[in-house]
Amino acid sequence: MAYISFENINKYYGENHVLIDVNLEIEQGQLVTLLGPSGCGKSTLLRCLSGLESITGGKITIDGVDVTNTDPKERKVGMVFQQYSLFPNMTVTENIAFGLKMKKMSKSDIEIKVLEAIEMVDLLGKEKAYPANLSGGQQQRVALARAIVTRPKVLLLDEPLSAIDAKLRKALQLSIKQIQRELGITSIFVTHDQDEAMIMSDVIHLFNNGVIEQSGSPSNVYTNPKTKFAAEFIGHYNIISSEQFHRITGTANSVFENVAIRPEAMEISLTPLEEKENFYQFHAVVVNHLSHGNVLRYNVEVNKVQLQVDVLFRSFYLYENGQHVYISVENRNCLAI
Amino acid sequence: MKKSASSKIIIVLICLYLVLPLILTFLYSIFTEWNEVLPKGLTLRYYKDILLDGNFLISVIHTIIVSIVPFIICTTVVLLALYVIVVYHPEWDKYTQMLCNIPYAIQGVILAISILSLYVNAPQPFSNRFVMVVLTYCIVILPYIYRGLKNSLDTINANRLIEAAQMLGANKFYAFFAVVVPNILSGITIVAMLSISMVFGDFVIVNIIGGSYFQTTQMYLYKKLFQSGQASSVVIVVMFGIALFMSAIMNSLKNKGRQNRKETN
Repeated sequence: MAYISFENINKYYGENHVLIDVNLEIEQGQLVTLLGPSGCGKSTLLRCLSGLESITGGKITIDGVDVTNTDPKERKVGMVFQQYSLFPNMTVTENIAFGLKMKKMSKSDIEIKVLEAIEMVDLLGKEKAYPANLSGGQQQRVALARAIVTRPKVLLLDEPLSAIDAKLRKALQLSIKQIQRELGITSIFVTHDQDEAMIMSDVIHLFNNGVIEQSGSPSNVYTNPKTKFAAEFIGHYNIISSEQFHRITGTANSVFENVAIRPEAMEISLTPLEEKENFYQFHAVVVNHLSHGNVLRYNVEVNKVQLQVDVLFRSFYLYENGQHVYISVENRNCLAI
Repeated sequence: MKKSASSKIIIVLICLYLVLPLILTFLYSIFTEWNEVLPKGLTLRYYKDILLDGNFLISVIHTIIVSIVPFIICTTVVLLALYVIVVYHPEWDKYTQMLCNIPYAIQGVILAISILSLYVNAPQPFSNRFVMVVLTYCIVILPYIYRGLKNSLDTINANRLIEAAQMLGANKFYAFFAVVVPNILSGITIVAMLSISMVFGDFVIVNIIGGSYFQTTQMYLYKKLFQSGQASSVVIVVMFGIALFMSAIMNSLKNKGRQNRKETN
């Protein structure tokens, strides 16, 4: 039996149907990511689980207990918010101790647990600081400590790193993952950043317009998108119509609607590669290229069809705009969607 | 450099403009005569007379009470109303705002006479002059208190803090009054200074409603104006001193928390 289960969850805001028959099961100890664009319903589902939002229809259970209509404080759920939501008039220690005070723990127990939490998030020396005097990353670590210090059954993280710069975000991603593993808390992470989802998650649930488009492990969702939306959102796939695909590969028409090809699944070369079984190879012209740090993205044109091809930036050689090249791709990397 | 010097000159001129009447009033109160260029007859007699006058001390106490009590009542009521609005019915805010703005449109004289004619024959405690004065001032200061507190709540994003406290095991009422309200203390202090100073300096309402039943320093001053220029100057200086003292206390309360935060970092 799943540790957390959502059964036929529906949620309306007035006429707006934001969650449509969502069914989802989460196993104990997993770090699950709800991934999707803004307004797709992922944060709403998280808030419904926390009890901050009520649902219009359906049932939510945590550890076998129906919590559909219970107050947030009865659910034993910890939450880290996007804007930290620390109490400005309280010190780091007081912020972290707040949940323990609500549980009416003894003063000595509170002191021990707060110190443990502060050590865990590496904030020793900042115990008496106020939130206004902390950096964004430090504030978010206080928020994390405050959420885990009560040892909740479920930890909810609502885009906790979206307001933090890229370098610090990477460090915090690893830090959150490590703490989650250490404590074994079942965690749900909401993000719109597919890279973040890939790094953090055991399982990804991809949301679109209030429904789950696809679920699976990060590598599975990345390499086997089931829908056009999944392919576009998670992997920057080249989505081409069936007719375009047959035009560039010269194969016969099939019944599928679109073909998705990952930019990095294609190989680019000046001369034709040796003919191999199960490979498509076609002639193309470089239109332009963009540098994405360690990756070069070439826009090439094949029979009036534009494709993006990613190449690792490991040599100084660049294909010139207008240069004739050859593109090869393995058959199994051309996914019918 | 030039800019800094010119701005300093402007500030000094403004300070002089504001302080000069007070200085002259003070000088006038410590001399027996001021008919020529320089005053004559340095004395503290008028201060002694006024400060030993039982009626003056009673009127000061009355003034402090009618300044503070309406603020306490009004702030409590508005905070409770805002709790309901912020937590349960945000859509009520526009209606409450409209209601709270009505006192802006009513002149003090009209308000005082209307309340007097409406409640003078009402049963106790409504016909009690003190109760009438206090509740009338509650109406007068309501727009300032509502707007000030609502702005403070909007600034700290009260809903976000309430949700965070709820997730940590607090109920909404506790979260509002134990987490949100301490975070708007500086806003409450500003509102307090504004509303208390407004009531402190009022003559019209308390004169019409309180009349001979309930005397404040403004009414005392009005009587003294016909008796002695020096005595009325003393009343003005003493009232200013009291107002300054009250403002200083509130200011120090406001800054205390901020100072503590700076010291710990």
